[in-house]
Amino acid sequence: MKNRRLHIGLLLFVLIGVLPFVSAFVYAVLYSVGLAGVVNDGFTLRFWAAVWNSGEFLRSFGYSAGIAGISVVVSVSAAMWLTLQFKRELQHRWLSFVIYLPLAIPGVVAAFFMVQLFAKSGLFSRFAYHLGWIAEAREFPDLINDPYALGIMLAFITIVTPFFVLLFLNVYQNERVAELTELAESLGANKKQVLWRVTLPILLRKTWTLIGLYFIFLLGSYEVPLILGQESPQMLSVLIIREIKQYDLSKISEGYVVAVIYTIFVSLAAVLLFYRKKSTTDAG
Amino acid sequence: MMLLNESLPPMRKFLLLPVMIAVLSGLAACDTPPAEENLIDATWETIETQAQGSVVNFMMWQGSSPINDYINNYVVPEVKARYNIDLRISGGQGPEIVQLVMGEREAGVAKGQVDMVWINGETFFQLRNIQGLWGPFVEKLPNSRFINPEDPYLSIDFQQAVEGMECPWSISQFALIYDSARVAAPPRTLPELEAFVMANPGTFTVSNDFTGMTLLKSFLAELSGSPTGLDGPFDEAKYERLSAELWTILNRLKPYFWKEGKTFPKEHSVMDQMFASGELLISYGFGEGGIEDKVRNGLFPTSTRGYAWENGTILNANFFGITYNAPNKAGAMQVIDFMISPEAQLKKADPNGMDSNPVLDVSRLPEEWKAQYEAMPTRKYGPSMSELSVRSIQEPAAEYMIRLYDEFRTEVIEK
Repeated sequence: MKNRRLHIGLLLFVLIGVLPFVSAFVYAVLYSVGLAGVVNDGFTLRFWAAVWNSGEFLRSFGYSAGIAGISVVVSVSAAMWLTLQFKRELQHRWLSFVIYLPLAIPGVVAAFFMVQLFAKSGLFSRFAYHLGWIAEAREFPDLINDPYALGIMLAFITIVTPFFVLLFLNVYQNERVAELTELAESLGANKKQVLWRVTLPILLRKTWTLIGLYFIFLLGSYEVPLILGQESPQMLSVLIIREIKQYDLSKISEGYVVAVIYTIFVSLAAVLLFYRKKSTTDAG
Repeated sequence: MMLLNESLPPMRKFLLLPVMIAVLSGLAACDTPPAEENLIDATWETIETQAQGSVVNFMMWQGSSPINDYINNYVVPEVKARYNIDLRISGGQGPEIVQLVMGEREAGVAKGQVDMVWINGETFFQLRNIQGLWGPFVEKLPNSRFINPEDPYLSIDFQQAVEGMECPWSISQFALIYDSARVAAPPRTLPELEAFVMANPGTFTVSNDFTGMTLLKSFLAELSGSPTGLDGPFDEAKYERLSAELWTILNRLKPYFWKEGKTFPKEHSVMDQMFASGELLISYGFGEGGIEDKVRNGLFPTSTRGYAWENGTILNANFFGITYNAPNKAGAMQVIDFMISPEAQLKKADPNGMDSNPVLDVSRLPEEWKAQYEAMPTRKYGPSMSELSVRSIQEPAAEYMIRLYDEFRTEVIEK
């Protein structure tokens, strides 16, 4: 009976989870080599060559990884600091409400908030103007569609930090870090030693898979960089959609090339993350 | 799954799987093809009868509230009252429409999701490329007799003959806009633009979309030396020569563009607010600049003015198409016929409403309508098309657009 239930579960997982993903991937591969698509006429590697030669993919990849990496590091650090500094206060209703509110905000909305607040014609620019700090709207610093992706990172950090606060608080309680801290202190450890040898290792060890997944999630995010990013380089999802929706139908396959490379990378990264997690838990 | 297992007797569980597989594979399979349609040869009476009481799915760009208002509060109730047609609107413009039709072609879907689409020449070119349109149907529409078939702006779209494969709905000219309270003499030629951006750095940009590329086409035409310089089929050598000149000029001016030319707006729509706040001093758009409703809503100042480039700006029409696999072609024809009726076109032209130029030739209209069209109220703020059209140019061949899109990115944005 239990065996059969397991089989049905597995079958459903394959049908609903694996099959659509694999079919989409196979379709993208076929499209990228010209074997699918009404405007394509047979096998060719020219789309792969075009993507490789333009160098746009690598630029976009580096740009996306940079943005995702910085956003995750800043969010994790900020969340860690908030957790350790305000662990007691965070139990209060009003403070936790303020901190967790961004969790309920979808990416698109967060991006629009950023535009409303930080654009040259946005709220802060108007304050600055009325306070006499700037004489014209265009003197306000560049935070939206800017070359350093500050707007994108700010949006990511706003959305992601509360999640990590929640996560670290839970781990802090479940792993009884407070008791362990007391124990370490009673054994003579100073505050710095407790932080670096006890608290941080425990919190990070329990959460690094999720931190890694968040990096992948941000790497592939679409709406926020679409609204807040610049035209070149663009983050991966924006680049892929742009290529797939482009005016020149004969080059749509190039978008699928990027999508295929990106999928392979993300799948490998995910497998690696879980494989290593499994082996560490096995060992532990 | 737990719940399912516990609540169903053992036999049922085995039935569940084939059902699920059937449902899933049913989603992927194509519908059965409909009975052979002979609508191309059918009389209008047959089409009208077939259209009665049907559902028509219409995919259109929904980014403008006056347009949405006209469609939802005028067209939808009218076609319901007159023909008992349920007109259902879904949102989607150029690329989404092309993606949808292409996807359905690739999957062999016989009954498509949409019956009619609102398109411009760019999408027409793409849909013709993938045989995504059904027709010719325009001559079948009774109200098409009010449209002048000789008008080159209505019968040629991006230098491609329309041949009844799409029906014109509106016509408009591209115009540049400025605030006369801030700018005394806006630029009307490329040398004037150069002087202008150097004197007012950061106040001009080119949106990396259809609208921006339409502006670049005006620039390209100016470099060709005449308003008709780009007419005719695509000329590779001419394009190479003119575009090289254009990229040199744009790259020279780039440091004086918005954000020092380090990036460009993805879409023209974001430029409205930047123009309103004074961040940009020059903007542009179809619909003779599209000033009227923005001034009325208080977004633009009343001192906003629209004008054409000295060598001319693009004058073009937008159209309705019927998709190749539309399940309800008769219904779509009935709706389109209503939308080009003298009544619906007059209502559409209301400067306090959608404010969009009719495609009907007034001299062909019956007397009672002629009088109404001649007494039509005029715009308070924006220029009329007749004021601008002395400086108008035809849409050049689609290949110019394809190349401009591609190379504006590689030659200007990424440089």
